Amino acid sequence: MTTEAGTGVKRREFLKILGATGATTAVVGCSSEKVGKLIPYVTSPDNTVPGVSQYYATSCRECSAGCGVLAEVRDGRPIKLDGNPEHPLNRGAICATGLAGIQGLYNPDRYRSPMVREGNALKPTTWDKAYELLAQKLGEVKSKGQAGSVVFVNQHETGTFPGFLDQWLSAQGMPAHLSVDSTAPIATIAANQKAYGAAWPALNFSAAKLVISFGADFLDGWGHSVPQQLDWADARAKLDTAPRLVYIGARRSLTGLNADQWIAAKAGSEMAICSALAGTGSAAAAAEAADVPVVTIEALIKAVADAGNGIMALCGVSGNDAVECGVMVAEINKKGGAVGTTINTARAHGAYTGLASYADLATAVKNMEAGTVPLAFVRGANPAHTMPKAAGFAAAFAKVPFKVSFSSMPDETAQLADLVLPDNHWLESWGDAVGEHGQISLQQPTLDPVFDTRATADVLIDLARKDQALAARYNVANFRSWYISQFPGGASAFATALTKASVAGAPLVATSPRPLAATAAPVTDGAGEFFVQVYPSPTLGDGAGANKPWLQELPDPVTKIAWQSWIEVHPSTAKKLGIKEGSHLTIETAAGKVTAPAYIYMGVRTDTVAIALGQGHSAYGRFAQNIGVNAYDLVSHGWDSAGGLAIGSVKGKVTVSADSSPLVTTEGSARQHGRGIAQAMTLAALLGQETEDEAGHHNIPGLPSQDFRTGLKAPVAADAQGEYANPLSKDKGMYDAGHSSKMESRRWAMTIDLARCTGCSACVTACYSENNIPTVGAPYQGRALSPMTWDERPGANIIKGREMAWIRIERYYEGNENTENEFSPDFETRFVAMMCQHCGNAPCEPVCPVYATYHSPDGLNVQVYNRCVGTRYCSNNCPYKVRYFNWFGYGEPERRQYAWPEPMHWGLNPDVTVRGKGVMEKCSFCVQRIREAEHRARAEDRELKPDEFTVACAQACASRAIIFGDAADENWTVSKLAYDRRAYHVFEELNAYTAVVYLKKVNYPAPAAPATA
Amino acid sequence: MASVVHPVREGIRGPNIASADVQLPAVRDYEQVDRDIIGTLGFTKKWFLGLSVAVLAMLIGVSAWIYQIYWGLGQAGYEPPVMWGNYIITFVFWVGIGHAGTLISAILYLFRAGFRTSIYRAAEAMTVFAVMTAGLFPIIHIGRPWKFFWLIPYPNWRLLWPNFKSPLVWDVFAISTYLTISTTFLFIGLIPDIAVLRDKETNPMRKRILSILSLGWRNSDREWRHFAKAYLFLAAFSTPLVLSVHSVVSFDFAMALTPGWHASIFPPYFVAGAIFSGFAMVWTIAIPMRKWFKLEHYITLNHLDATAKVVLFTSLVVGSAYMIEFFIAWYSSVRAEQEFFWNRVFGQWWWAAWIMLLCNMALPMSLWSQKLRRNPTWLFVLSLFINLGMWFERFVIVVPSLSHEFEPWQWGGYMVSWVDMAFLVGSFGWFFMWFLLFVKQLPVMAIAELKEIVAPRVKYAHHDQGIDTAGHHLPYGTATPGEDD
Repeated sequence: MTTEAGTGVKRREFLKILGATGATTAVVGCSSEKVGKLIPYVTSPDNTVPGVSQYYATSCRECSAGCGVLAEVRDGRPIKLDGNPEHPLNRGAICATGLAGIQGLYNPDRYRSPMVREGNALKPTTWDKAYELLAQKLGEVKSKGQAGSVVFVNQHETGTFPGFLDQWLSAQGMPAHLSVDSTAPIATIAANQKAYGAAWPALNFSAAKLVISFGADFLDGWGHSVPQQLDWADARAKLDTAPRLVYIGARRSLTGLNADQWIAAKAGSEMAICSALAGTGSAAAAAEAADVPVVTIEALIKAVADAGNGIMALCGVSGNDAVECGVMVAEINKKGGAVGTTINTARAHGAYTGLASYADLATAVKNMEAGTVPLAFVRGANPAHTMPKAAGFAAAFAKVPFKVSFSSMPDETAQLADLVLPDNHWLESWGDAVGEHGQISLQQPTLDPVFDTRATADVLIDLARKDQALAARYNVANFRSWYISQFPGGASAFATALTKASVAGAPLVATSPRPLAATAAPVTDGAGEFFVQVYPSPTLGDGAGANKPWLQELPDPVTKIAWQSWIEVHPSTAKKLGIKEGSHLTIETAAGKVTAPAYIYMGVRTDTVAIALGQGHSAYGRFAQNIGVNAYDLVSHGWDSAGGLAIGSVKGKVTVSADSSPLVTTEGSARQHGRGIAQAMTLAALLGQETEDEAGHHNIPGLPSQDFRTGLKAPVAADAQGEYANPLSKDKGMYDAGHSSKMESRRWAMTIDLARCTGCSACVTACYSENNIPTVGAPYQGRALSPMTWDERPGANIIKGREMAWIRIERYYEGNENTENEFSPDFETRFVAMMCQHCGNAPCEPVCPVYATYHSPDGLNVQVYNRCVGTRYCSNNCPYKVRYFNWFGYGEPERRQYAWPEPMHWGLNPDVTVRGKGVMEKCSFCVQRIREAEHRARAEDRELKPDEFTVACAQACASRAIIFGDAADENWTVSKLAYDRRAYHVFEELNAYTAVVYLKKVNYPAPAAPATA
Repeated sequence: MASVVHPVREGIRGPNIASADVQLPAVRDYEQVDRDIIGTLGFTKKWFLGLSVAVLAMLIGVSAWIYQIYWGLGQAGYEPPVMWGNYIITFVFWVGIGHAGTLISAILYLFRAGFRTSIYRAAEAMTVFAVMTAGLFPIIHIGRPWKFFWLIPYPNWRLLWPNFKSPLVWDVFAISTYLTISTTFLFIGLIPDIAVLRDKETNPMRKRILSILSLGWRNSDREWRHFAKAYLFLAAFSTPLVLSVHSVVSFDFAMALTPGWHASIFPPYFVAGAIFSGFAMVWTIAIPMRKWFKLEHYITLNHLDATAKVVLFTSLVVGSAYMIEFFIAWYSSVRAEQEFFWNRVFGQWWWAAWIMLLCNMALPMSLWSQKLRRNPTWLFVLSLFINLGMWFERFVIVVPSLSHEFEPWQWGGYMVSWVDMAFLVGSFGWFFMWFLLFVKQLPVMAIAELKEIVAPRVKYAHHDQGIDTAGHHLPYGTATPGEDD
């Protein structure tokens, strides 16, 4: 970024505060090369108070959705991202990928300066030299008249930049750029456009009675999960009028696990089922094709008819006929009259405008291969990793005489480039995004660039200004000045818009729509009896998230595996082939083969194996490199009639090896063993039509039935000490209800609604971000296997069960006990978030020999890190197993296991201690937020307002399943929910008087379909 | 010694089996006692070799500790939720071993069990060193060992005290009290013997040290009277400690909610187990010792036979406790308990449970046979099995319980690491280093007490005969059944 005098960039100058390393931070030492020049706050900027956070509204660019986020900036550094509550799209929620943006910003493996190829290696250079070189190459290309063949591949994004880029390219005489997104459901978008005339109509789950998902993982990777999840959870929270969800597909994804019914249709049979539902085919034919009982299809047809205009059918199929299937699915909605009710085309999301298809990219690669591309630019995309091998990207790219990458990370594509002009992270850049249709939300930098990087938009302007023909046209200092000059209403309107989550408007340069149509290049099946299903990882996507340890450490919501690739096989298949958990399997398709450990999963068909994308990086930094396998190697270079890559199912061969390796999983037992941790009730029971048959309460023999009504009681801690611990004193200090702190009158508590929770796990990453929880799975963080060797397996510590997540999502299965011998799609999944229950009568407290854990007057179970000597007795005595121990010096920079290699520690939350080795830690109910709110209220001389603040997990939760507050004050939401009729405590029989109240999940058994239930 | 076994001074001894069992027929006179016992003190090459091995083993443990303090406890095999592992297992193991000594020297003293005389000194030393070893493990085990003193109630201006509700604080008191008392007891008993050493010592430096240690003992009547009273008092004082220490250690488990731990049977069960393992360790030490130091005259087969009966009895107690635990789990109707006990014998650690049952319940049943009770080789082998079995008993208590608690999602595994093993090796090194140093500095048998059961030569000169197991006198020169042949 350039900062020139006279442009009035006041705030950006304030943000020249990168130097707050060394002396001001507790962490010993290291600094980036820029730091020497910068002294933070010699002159304190206006409106900043050291130690007090400022919040900047910006737009998340981790995916194309463009959610509004608030970046919490402390002393010049963003430390946490929260959803912007005023943004119409995400309404305060945020996903794990968005939260991890912080770790993209502070990633230690980012390019620290421009790089230029010298021989086989990329060497650091200066921006001046890089500009000179690129200007020379641009000149050569133009003088040879080859500008028309230049390729510019950009990540798909909304807002002004794509149009701005196209303008620049056209000024240079170059064709428009390719806007690629390898995980965008291109077939669905094309089908939507055909059927509804809108690329992505809003999904109005609240109006739905029945949702049928044909492999559409709408809670996860299909479309934009946060807004969809918000609507879905709200719809489910209606309980008695909530929609039922039927999931059709060969593999139960996260959405599938949330479904009330899974129809385990054979891969590729979706068309037949669609036809049956749309009335153009017979149920028998569909059942035959899908390999499911005909009654199931018949019941579904009836349910669709009963749902009327409350039907919502969604298509997430990928394959040769994906577009046709999508159109057919839309036909079901149209037939039911659901367009306008559940399918809201008026509120269509513009996120996919201008998206280029895979086929478009394939054409560009073909041109490169042919040697007709003189110059190629890649920005934000990583085709060397996200294209199937058969596409031959690397070889084709090598034939381009000069290749420029704008990647900020040393990804596979950047490694092949001749010149790297590292882009700023989105938290360092100006821009805008289209959120809801007709609205734009601005994107503003939250700090000066961490490294010597420059925003690509600024680079484009700089290059144009060096070109005499273009200098007049780009007579601005930088992209920001250009943007303000073009902004309707000018600088003042711009300044106002910056403070808003989103404003009415459109990108300053419209993105030209691009038709999604291509000549299909059908995929051919390989030899073999298994369908191989490849799907984007819920945590890592196509692999873009793999460089962020939070996302690597976040267990996959379905399989609970982290830091690894795995292959899912059904238990009965495993038994047949002699596959044990962790056995190395090799899948071979027509495109290629990969080998990974087996994960035995009853949510795949017996004739299907599944593998997630995301891993298998050969570059991309220390957290991504050499972990797992790249599932794109199994995908054929073929596409559907919209040009979308057919990553769905192809046939392949599976071979079992005698080798095995342990799975990096956080799962202990996936069954509850009747212990009532995740409880559920049927809709009928909720409505009082039937008595609850499930053992909802733990009755102790000989005692009267213990109904839920412990009332969140917390006995006053017996160790209350007033008047300097004088045992004769009657003063109870802050434990006295009359104490001026009023702490004793509060009872912090939480409710977790299992009817809302989808298991997406954003809360887990939010907790990592808020509470400085170390990630422990990186290959360098393992223990010593002998005095000479270290355990360098990715996730080695997690194999030892040493993950530190203060909140975890437990995934329990119900039913299907005989799955090893017989396939059945009928099992239920319950997700339950488990964190410290802040017991009123906490088992961990009396056993601590040094009072490192004790009970605060306001009901918190407090852990004093400084006092802890690490006997770990508290953990032994905790029935919920929510206490975590620092086995290594994860917070000590001089240790091998250091979790925040510089500058990642810049993203640490200064309100929360970084724990040293040898101490226990656990969920604190975000005590720093509680105290901050209390102090604020006190400073303003007022009482805390109900629901004034919340904890990090609840704040991120897109399902709004977690509610936090003061249960002693009836005006807080939590105190109402705690007395809901679905409420229960986990392990109530242990008399721990937990402060976390769970609300039972509600199940919707298939109506009138007893045959399959 | 005042009140123990009064040797029959005159005439034919009556058939007093209890005392006859433990007479030392092959020991002729006081001089022989002095000669034989003090004769064990000379340094030998073999001893030096043994000490080197022990010191080396200890150094392995010390290096492991330095390494672990530097890197963190992650180098050990902990696998949450198994937050306690090898160190606590080994801690309880050594505390258990530390029980036999005081039991033998104090409780058996009060019970007038004569067979204690020959073995109690070695057992008492073993106790002190075992407790010294055990006491290290809680410190090794904690995350921040340099803050260990926070568990001790010391005055400080922050008014911070340990949590007296925590069984770990009870542990601190129990172990430190036990160590203090057993050390004192050992030392008091040693005073007359140190005086003997002092009298025979020629090296002026050593003589001086021994003089100080003997507290100027002059073998006067008055001194003996006071000595006997002090000894009796300490015996009475130590007796409840024998029961309390391991009861308190068992509270570490019994006071917790954890399935498999939360049982009121733990204190008696632990005490019995401790005595059981302690006697096994006495065998492990005494059987080679009597061979190498040629002390078969003193630790006779009768002695071994008597200790074997104690082992057999405690094995039955421990075995019934194992069975009662299963009954309690079934009777409680608590699902987590029931599943845990099923898992204990058929789950992932079935082999550990079966090692425990085999070594602690099944093999000691061989001691019903008198022939085997009097077979030192078998007893030595059995003692090794019992030591192994008792280590695994603690493993079975600690690891499977923690790995299989209330929350199924957090069920896990455990495998010791090389660091754990280094500590285990180091603990044996540390223990045997002390013991080996002890046996060459101070008498391994109570010289003064032995003299009480050896008839003075002047009175017995005309008898010239030993005594058989039934107390009948044998003609002099025939083999006595109490000795190895």
